Amino acid sequence: MPFRLLNSRMVEAQVVPGQRLFSQRGAMLAYKGDVSFTPSITGGQGGVMGMIGRRIANEATPLMTVEGSGTVMFGHGGHHVHVIELSGDTLYVEADRLLAFDGTLQQGTMFMGSQGGVMGMVRGQVTGQGLFTTTLKGHGAVAVMAHGGFIELPITPQRPVTVDPQAYVAHRGDVRNKLTAAIGWREVVGRGSGEAFRLELSGTGTVYVQASEEKL
Amino acid sequence: MNGPVTHDATTLPSNDNVNPYAFSVDLKGQWFLQKGKMIAYYGRIDFHGIGHGPLDRLISGSFHSPLHAADWVVAEGQGKMLLADRSFDVNSYDLEDGNLTVRSGNLLAFEPSLSLKQSIIPGFLTLIGTGKFVAASNGPVVFVEPPIRVDPQALVGWADCPSPCHHYDHQYLRGVMGGVRRLTGLGGASGEEHQFEFVGAGTVLLQSTEQLMAEIATGEGPPQEAGVPQGSAGNQPMTPRLSGQLGDLQRRFGL
Repeated sequence: MPFRLLNSRMVEAQVVPGQRLFSQRGAMLAYKGDVSFTPSITGGQGGVMGMIGRRIANEATPLMTVEGSGTVMFGHGGHHVHVIELSGDTLYVEADRLLAFDGTLQQGTMFMGSQGGVMGMVRGQVTGQGLFTTTLKGHGAVAVMAHGGFIELPITPQRPVTVDPQAYVAHRGDVRNKLTAAIGWREVVGRGSGEAFRLELSGTGTVYVQASEEKL
Repeated sequence: MNGPVTHDATTLPSNDNVNPYAFSVDLKGQWFLQKGKMIAYYGRIDFHGIGHGPLDRLISGSFHSPLHAADWVVAEGQGKMLLADRSFDVNSYDLEDGNLTVRSGNLLAFEPSLSLKQSIIPGFLTLIGTGKFVAASNGPVVFVEPPIRVDPQALVGWADCPSPCHHYDHQYLRGVMGGVRRLTGLGGASGEEHQFEFVGAGTVLLQSTEQLMAEIATGEGPPQEAGVPQGSAGNQPMTPRLSGQLGDLQRRFGL
């Protein structure tokens, strides 16, 4: 387990030789030992093709590679940090919410339309994810950022979860999501409840929600 | 969920935090505070601007920069006084015959038993002596021990250890690929080329984010003399621009 939370906004990572981490550029607060920070030209894994994919998908957050031996402390923008351990499953998260993650995790880009077609694309627009989102798969840990505290909601087949798309942070596991819109005449005349869009997640997995409706 | 706690003069903590963002001072005598950081008080407390009034004698003992004193007020009297700063995290620290250097914008208040001096590092103040002071930080403070290298923006202060020195990491700009990077600016900068390096024994205080709190002036700079380091003007970025770097445009393109 390379990440340890120091407080709600700061995480400490152990770096050992031969194992690298990726982190958002400029998010290092302090380090001990012999550690080097190299800007990653390709913005993560997958070589040049991965880079082109991310550029097109607008999921290319400036990342850097962290290598060497020592301890590094990460934190960014005063946002709350949460460490998610992956054991073979996939995490769906926006690239700019990634504070740091294990180099062993497989990084990919997913088209929102591949989950639910046109409604998936609409969902991407409403949650602020855009048309694409980043996936991380494998065994390792991820430090994710959110505005406000983290709330972890388990999803079971018997108990689907409905969240506000703006408070949605990430989800993992085998989850189907559906955007429901309840737009009536009230919304049209500007007297809506402000909760016209809801994101309904069903299946088995976990959804992470932030205690705020603000974007990062 | 419990609602807001109602306090009165007797239930307010004495010289302790009310919540992470507010600190309650049990005032018996005098305290110095930065202008505008008092949010409420109980009791009989007078606030005097420094530099005019009956307190000038006291000031000369605690402030060693006469012009800096204009940013501070003296709270005098009996009662409980609440201090806060833009909902930043607030903490109190005790010094026992020690010294602590803190970023000027982070220091909120201190006991008159401490004396405040300008650090020779621009933008920092040093407190010397025995007493309590209150400092704010953007996010909770983390204490670390040297040897350590810290992001300049995450540094709040340090105690009992030698002043830091600059450390530059340009390792990735060496070699053939490094040369290409340096010439073309391709690949960008990691943003971590420059750190403050601390060595020796002591404690370093870090805040949990690299977002600085607004700096306050530390008063007029030291006299222009040979051998006296002069401060840089204002909040200039500390990192020198690397050769081949295209400035901020480059980051926008993600290169």
